[in-house]
Amino acid sequence: MTAAETILVFVAAPLAVVLLLALLTIGPAARNRRPRYKPGQPWTHEPVWYEPHPEATGHGSGHGDGETAAIGSSVYGERHGADAAATHAVSGGPSADGASAARAPRPAGPLGGARGTW
Amino acid sequence: MTRALEVESHDTATHSTLPARTDEGIDQIFSFRELARIDEALTMSSRETGLRFTLYVGDLGTPTRARAEELHAYSGGNTAEAVLIAVSPGQRVVEVVTGSAAARRLPDRACALAVLSMTTAFAGGDLVGGIVNGLRQLSDQAGRPSHRHH
Repeated sequence: MTAAETILVFVAAPLAVVLLLALLTIGPAARNRRPRYKPGQPWTHEPVWYEPHPEATGHGSGHGDGETAAIGSSVYGERHGADAAATHAVSGGPSADGASAARAPRPAGPLGGARGTW
Repeated sequence: MTRALEVESHDTATHSTLPARTDEGIDQIFSFRELARIDEALTMSSRETGLRFTLYVGDLGTPTRARAEELHAYSGGNTAEAVLIAVSPGQRVVEVVTGSAAARRLPDRACALAVLSMTTAFAGGDLVGGIVNGLRQLSDQAGRPSHRHH
């Protein structure tokens, strides 16, 4: 074994393996680098409000709740009876959950809850 | 990496018009993976309990409680059954507001416990993990609705 071969096997090869592993480890983290939240730093983002999907709430009944498979403009089942107003585009009716009424302030009586600081 | 939103500009803006929404840049607080976790947690806890969980992330002003209660009134749907989790990372405050009907199933003590686990995660810099765990605790505590009303 010549000196060049020795260096190739005992230095270059391990170095290549180490570099490959390092690249695989550090690479993905370095690529999607985002400003991670650290406690104490100022918060400069716009306020955002996340809501559940509309059909998820108890009163918004959705997928699978319809009595018939939809034949119409909606992907949701067509409902009948008192609920029908929700699927048909008729205005009026007792339901106050319309899109316009949804954003009017509706104070909900005595409120509960908790606060935490960190 | 694939992006959820097409942000390539097809804009025809001139000097006298505003740039299109796609050109304003997206205010990325969370990655899309984190957004998916939040979305799933909100949707599943709302579906399981019949309550309406919403999450606010942003500044809450000086009396944080007053602002959070004001936001709760605007949370849409039947606010008596709404639960608002308001996180203000800049002020290091998290407020949980429950409507009158929700408060019967989520006593203040249970909310405080969920808040405690959330603040522990927030103090470690893990916003999404804290939010998801807090939602899980709240929905576990609230349980299933006694009757499904459609």
